[in-house]
Amino acid sequence: MAHKDTHTTASKLVIYPLLAIFVILAVLPFLYMISLSLQSDADMFSGRVIVIPEVLQFSNYVTIWEKAPFARFMLNSAIIAGTITVLHVLFDPLIGYVFAKMDFPGRRFMFVALLATLMIPFFIRLIPLYVMTAEMGLLNTYPGLILPFAMSAFGIFLMRQFILPIPDDLVAAARLDGAGEFRIFIDIILPQLKPAIATLALLTFVFQFNEFIWPLVVVSTEKMRPITTGLTLFNQEFFTQWNLTAVGGMLLFLPCFILFVAMQRYFVQSVMLSGMK
Amino acid sequence: MTYKTKRTLIAYAFLSPAIIYFIVYFFWPIAVEFWASFRDGQPLIGESTFIGFRNYARILSDQLAIKAIKATLIYAIGSVVFTLVIALGLSALLVGPVRAKNTIRAILFFPYIISFVISALMWRAILDPYTGLLNAALVSLGLPQQFWLVNPDTAIWTLVGVSVWKDIGYAVLIYIAAIQGIPAHLYEAARMDGARRHHLFRDITLPLLMPTTLFLAVVIMIGSLQEMALPYLLTQGGPANATRLYSLHVFETAFQGLDIGYASALSFAMFMLILFITWVQFKLLHRDIKHV
Repeated sequence: MAHKDTHTTASKLVIYPLLAIFVILAVLPFLYMISLSLQSDADMFSGRVIVIPEVLQFSNYVTIWEKAPFARFMLNSAIIAGTITVLHVLFDPLIGYVFAKMDFPGRRFMFVALLATLMIPFFIRLIPLYVMTAEMGLLNTYPGLILPFAMSAFGIFLMRQFILPIPDDLVAAARLDGAGEFRIFIDIILPQLKPAIATLALLTFVFQFNEFIWPLVVVSTEKMRPITTGLTLFNQEFFTQWNLTAVGGMLLFLPCFILFVAMQRYFVQSVMLSGMK
Repeated sequence: MTYKTKRTLIAYAFLSPAIIYFIVYFFWPIAVEFWASFRDGQPLIGESTFIGFRNYARILSDQLAIKAIKATLIYAIGSVVFTLVIALGLSALLVGPVRAKNTIRAILFFPYIISFVISALMWRAILDPYTGLLNAALVSLGLPQQFWLVNPDTAIWTLVGVSVWKDIGYAVLIYIAAIQGIPAHLYEAARMDGARRHHLFRDITLPLLMPTTLFLAVVIMIGSLQEMALPYLLTQGGPANATRLYSLHVFETAFQGLDIGYASALSFAMFMLILFITWVQFKLLHRDIKHV
């Protein structure tokens, strides 16, 4: 017994410091971003690396709005990510329902074709998508930024996974009572799907809020930039001003952070559902 | 109209927006890309001529492409190996009697969900040779400063490091779920036979985690093979093209070189590779599942 106790104490002395190192590494960039965002220009050019600034310069959070049109960038991001989220919430559950509870010829083929789209990397579609968007005259417009992400196989698959466990008998009984499929979807499926839809909305919004490559390609004027490309290009134009860049980073970071903390459990659940099948 | 026909029509009516969307935004672009990969000139945007497989053959004599393929292989294999080894170790610790394990898991998972833009900007600030946090720490410990992203020899490995940092929480999450799914009676039986703790890990946990490891390896591999945002934001492919990953090479060939036929062949070749890896994964996982 005594032997076992020393064993666990010794392993604790290894395990906790080890875990602490990884935990610190995980959050270090974010802590440093907070620190940078509160440093003055003098701190920046002092030639020293400052971890905790002596004077916290909160005015950076005001100055930033004058340096670049961040309000406009934020609005663009909200419009783009918000519209895409609404489209997903409208379409993905209904299509997930069709695959989970309706039987029709071609279902298997359609489902496999849908899942196959998950294997198509975005950068492979990039060139044709760009040409298509240009031909439709949608470069530098909200529809051009939104349409390529209007639905996702991932979202449909996620919704199907949540709809499958709802008892078939419930659906069959409603059909016998003469309820139409749309009625069944609205009255029986949707009410049980609320947490799942919240998860879908959260995931979609966060991913779209963070989208970088597509706006980089499609947007050519400053006023159409979302916060991601707005911030990056701002950083290239004012590359020495890490304190202001960090404030911009906080603007991009905070909405996602708040959503993440509020819905951490759902987040983890949905990532695992998609990962483990 | 029979009941069955009516149901089928309703199903397809519901599906129609999705059918149109996926054809227009997924299957049609792939078809167009495939077509363009056999053409020279300005396919998709102007005059072009059919040149057979010459665009594909050109990849092998394109020094920049060869360099990009090498960098991408280092990046992808490095990311997979380091992420999986570290994640496996952390998961093994985190299923044991450790305090605050859920909090630790959440914190480790955090970098995974944060945008590449923030991750890249902050790592650039930390890795800056002169004003960065990391070199300040090294110097204060009496170690020489490093030119992380500026030195062509270290840049690609630094990129691997950032990618591992980003993916580790996801791998830990999936590993922990898999470890917790291993039936307890297997361990009990082995313990009755007098097996020690590290034996249990080596002889029971590790083999039973094979399908999960394979799944994670493929997911991370495929993700790394198409990585573009991270090198674009951290190094723009430099220094001396050391971090010009394959997708970045495709991107610049298409959008800066306007060499659309060749860029299409480059991306289609990668698509084939990714399909092949996915197919191998299906085969291997199927066999594993049958054996268990």
